[in-house]
Amino acid sequence: MHLLFIEDDQEAAAWLIKGLQAVGHVVDHAADGENGLHLALTGDYDVLIVDRMLPKRDGLSIIRMLRADGDLTPALVLSALGEVDDRVEGLRAGGDDYLVKPYAFDELIARLEVLTRRNKDQAPATQLKIADLILDLTTHKVTRAGQIIRLQPKEQQLLEFLMRHQDQIVTRNMLLEHVWDFHFDPQTNVIDTQISRLRSKIDKGFDKPLLHTIRGRGYRLSENE
Amino acid sequence: MNRLLRTSAIRLSLRYAVFYMLVAGTGLTVLYWATSRYVDAQIQAGLEHHINSLKALYEAEGSVGLVRALDGRGLAAEPENHRFILYMDKSGGRLAGDLKSWPPAAEPDDQVRNIWIEDSLIPLAMEDHDGYWPSIATTFPDGSRLLIAQSVRQAEDLQEFILGTLFATLGMIIALTLVLGWRMGRQLLARIDQVNTTADKILNGHLEQRIPLSGSDDEFDELAQNLNAMLDHINRLIHGMRQVTDNVAHDLRHPLTRMRNRLDVTLLEPRDVEDYRESLQATRNDIEDVLKTFNALLEIAQAESGHFRGEMEIVSLSALASQLGEMYEDLFEEQGQQLDVMVEPDICIRGNRQLLAQSISNLLENAHKYAGDKAHVALSLRREQTTAVLTVSDDGPGIPKDRLKDVLQRYVRLDAARSTPGNGLGLSLVSAIAQLHHAQLLLEDNAPGLAVLLRFAPKTCPSGQ
Repeated sequence: MHLLFIEDDQEAAAWLIKGLQAVGHVVDHAADGENGLHLALTGDYDVLIVDRMLPKRDGLSIIRMLRADGDLTPALVLSALGEVDDRVEGLRAGGDDYLVKPYAFDELIARLEVLTRRNKDQAPATQLKIADLILDLTTHKVTRAGQIIRLQPKEQQLLEFLMRHQDQIVTRNMLLEHVWDFHFDPQTNVIDTQISRLRSKIDKGFDKPLLHTIRGRGYRLSENE
Repeated sequence: MNRLLRTSAIRLSLRYAVFYMLVAGTGLTVLYWATSRYVDAQIQAGLEHHINSLKALYEAEGSVGLVRALDGRGLAAEPENHRFILYMDKSGGRLAGDLKSWPPAAEPDDQVRNIWIEDSLIPLAMEDHDGYWPSIATTFPDGSRLLIAQSVRQAEDLQEFILGTLFATLGMIIALTLVLGWRMGRQLLARIDQVNTTADKILNGHLEQRIPLSGSDDEFDELAQNLNAMLDHINRLIHGMRQVTDNVAHDLRHPLTRMRNRLDVTLLEPRDVEDYRESLQATRNDIEDVLKTFNALLEIAQAESGHFRGEMEIVSLSALASQLGEMYEDLFEEQGQQLDVMVEPDICIRGNRQLLAQSISNLLENAHKYAGDKAHVALSLRREQTTAVLTVSDDGPGIPKDRLKDVLQRYVRLDAARSTPGNGLGLSLVSAIAQLHHAQLLLEDNAPGLAVLLRFAPKTCPSGQ
């Protein structure tokens, strides 16, 4: 993936760029807002990673300028401001996702993946499918190998989110945010228990497990191990 | 004195003094003018009447009769009138009267006019002095002339009296308003000095100082009360900040020391890759904990300061509690515990969904962690009279009765059980969030176990919720 990383903290940027390159991304770096806007307007990127507080031009105004220009490149906003309203403000400005510093590197990677996929398949689907598991979005029926699976509303939302991001790692925080709309860190493994419950319904009694736990990072719904 | 002059009271009283002076001055001037006019008219009428009666006497008794009457009248005849008469024959010889000679300006044309009367014309026995006197003069058929002049002494006395009254009144008004203004200014300054003195003391570090109240419940007391309330609030904020700083120092020092020791030891001698990895992994986990603590402390500080910038809206507490209950059910089951969720529908409050969710989740996680295996935990939301009560109760070990109050006390002061970090911060955050939502936080003995109650003021749910 070709990424543009706009961040003024050189040392932090250097390490992150190293990490992003290590997982296979191509990264351009801009150290201030003006330069960042210039690169974003002239280059062709898959995702922009934009720090909120930048010298010369703040991160949100870069995104606003791009959106006004019709540029819909997904943007992930990084910020040290973590209040609920800062998040809302970031998303309103046209940001596609919002990460509060300090964040885990895995969290950043997972969110970047999700942003690029979201950008690619925009055709509205009537059903989601992975292997023999099918979620019909019009009738809200879930079947695996033709067998009807009964899910609670929340379980179904959880499954839908995982299916929309199949083959990607999704973190616990992403699930908490997107499925439950909660923005706090639980001190317990409450998300894990929700996943186990879903897993027992969609995987139990079938040969091939689809819902995998990626240790220390999150979960992945995939046909492959 | 300089300060006193600059006070609004003095300025106001000066302004009033000028105003009253203008009003009184105008009134008295009008009075003075009207009186003068009246006196003049009286004098004119008196003179005309007098000369007419003398003319009638002349017609009846002739010049001789007039002279006799005038001589008989004498000087002392009408002293209170201060009227002087001169009767002269055709050739200018004095026939009768008090004036010594005919004043040059007197015209015998039966018109009252003011003419100049010199001292030399006035008989010494009369205590009058020169001036423009209203006079009337006439010529009789035989060519003799008669002059009556009215001394202005009386009119002047009256005018002087009125003028005197005028100035005395104005002087009194000025003196009174100035004294009043000065006193008001002094009182004002005394009250303001109290505020200034208190402010000085506070600036010098005596943060507990407050402005004394006079007890009169006036606007100064109101001002002092408001300032005091403001100072109290600021004091609370400062106190909270200090507490947070202390807590941060306490909570972060331990893990930071641990990490440093671990890294120091790791770097002491060459190790194999697996050891390095282990050390780094442990350090990373420590950092994770530190960040969690750090975030929790920041959130508490934010909520406690009452300066939450997020949106406060009508939130369905029923929906939120059910959602969280459902989310946490399995977590309890996994540990052999049981979570009962009993939520009355359609209870809404004004608040922030995220913070409310966080506090309910904190209470549930506390119960999960501390109520022990096989514990029964209940999350309930119900109406109680005019309030909405959210309760998380368990039948675990609870908190000893005599310590319930301590713990609550510590909640309020954001100083919760520091020896058990997770718990302390979780409950402190609940307390701070409760405060922000004007909710009452109660800890009760559930006999056995602990019950934590949050009492909210419910609002009407928007339709469709």
